[in-house]
Amino acid sequence: MTENEFIAGLRNHHASAYGKLLDDFQQKVFATCISFVPNKEDAEDIAQEVFVEVFKSIEKFKGQSKLSTWVYRITTNKCLEFIRKRNTKKRFGFMQSILGNEIPLDKTSYFTEMNHPGVILENKEKSQTLFYAINQLPEAQKVVFTLHKVDGKSYQEISAITEKSIASVESLMFRAKKNLQKLLEYFYKNNN
Amino acid sequence: MDRDNNMQKQIDETLHVLENLETVHVSPFFKDKTMQVLFAEKTEAPMAWSWFTPKLQLATLVCIVVLNVLAFIKLEKASAYEVHVSEFAESYGLSVYNEDTSILNN
Repeated sequence: MTENEFIAGLRNHHASAYGKLLDDFQQKVFATCISFVPNKEDAEDIAQEVFVEVFKSIEKFKGQSKLSTWVYRITTNKCLEFIRKRNTKKRFGFMQSILGNEIPLDKTSYFTEMNHPGVILENKEKSQTLFYAINQLPEAQKVVFTLHKVDGKSYQEISAITEKSIASVESLMFRAKKNLQKLLEYFYKNNN
Repeated sequence: MDRDNNMQKQIDETLHVLENLETVHVSPFFKDKTMQVLFAEKTEAPMAWSWFTPKLQLATLVCIVVLNVLAFIKLEKASAYEVHVSEFAESYGLSVYNEDTSILNN
């Protein structure tokens, strides 16, 4: 099956084409999701939403980028949408606790319960700290850092996904590292 | 000094923790679950009006507007004709309408 036949199959909503899409991309999409959202259940839910979005929006895919790039762009947007929603809920919970309503406040204020099966036990606390710090970064820096350092994508791939030049990606990465250094300094100063 | 060095060591270790992340595999039922969700949504899509594509909708709208405009023009012409006929009838004293015989005045 050629790439064009495959995309035509996706456009016509053929089950065989979606079967192939899932075989090719389920692990990669899930890996990106768990890089942004370090919780296996949440990451699987987001990955499923990604494939539903592909199913609904395949008509909009004009072939200007690679199919994989388009799928990863949807994945990144879905993850950011999930994090934004969860962060809003946390802030709302915090407001309610100030106003005296009976909603228990999550002390970590992180948007999900950390459950990343890839983290080895001795690194659990450090990983939690790092994911917490990444969540404090501005969104553009968070995306570039997560895709490169956690998901292991190259600058070229990130440039295609985010529709930014490689120079901008490098600059965002540099600022992300600098900000993470500051955030971790602040964290360890207050926790030692 | 020692405190700073120790803190920097902690920061470096934290930043390098991602190098030891193990690959997490997606659950074995993920594909089946997702296929079910995708094709359950597809069957729910309403098929009754699927032939009525946006192009056809636009063509229908244009037809309706043209028909309305034509009907309006024709109505204008018909009422102008009636006015002319009644003017002609009045000027020759052939008008049927009379205030004395009007039903409303009875």
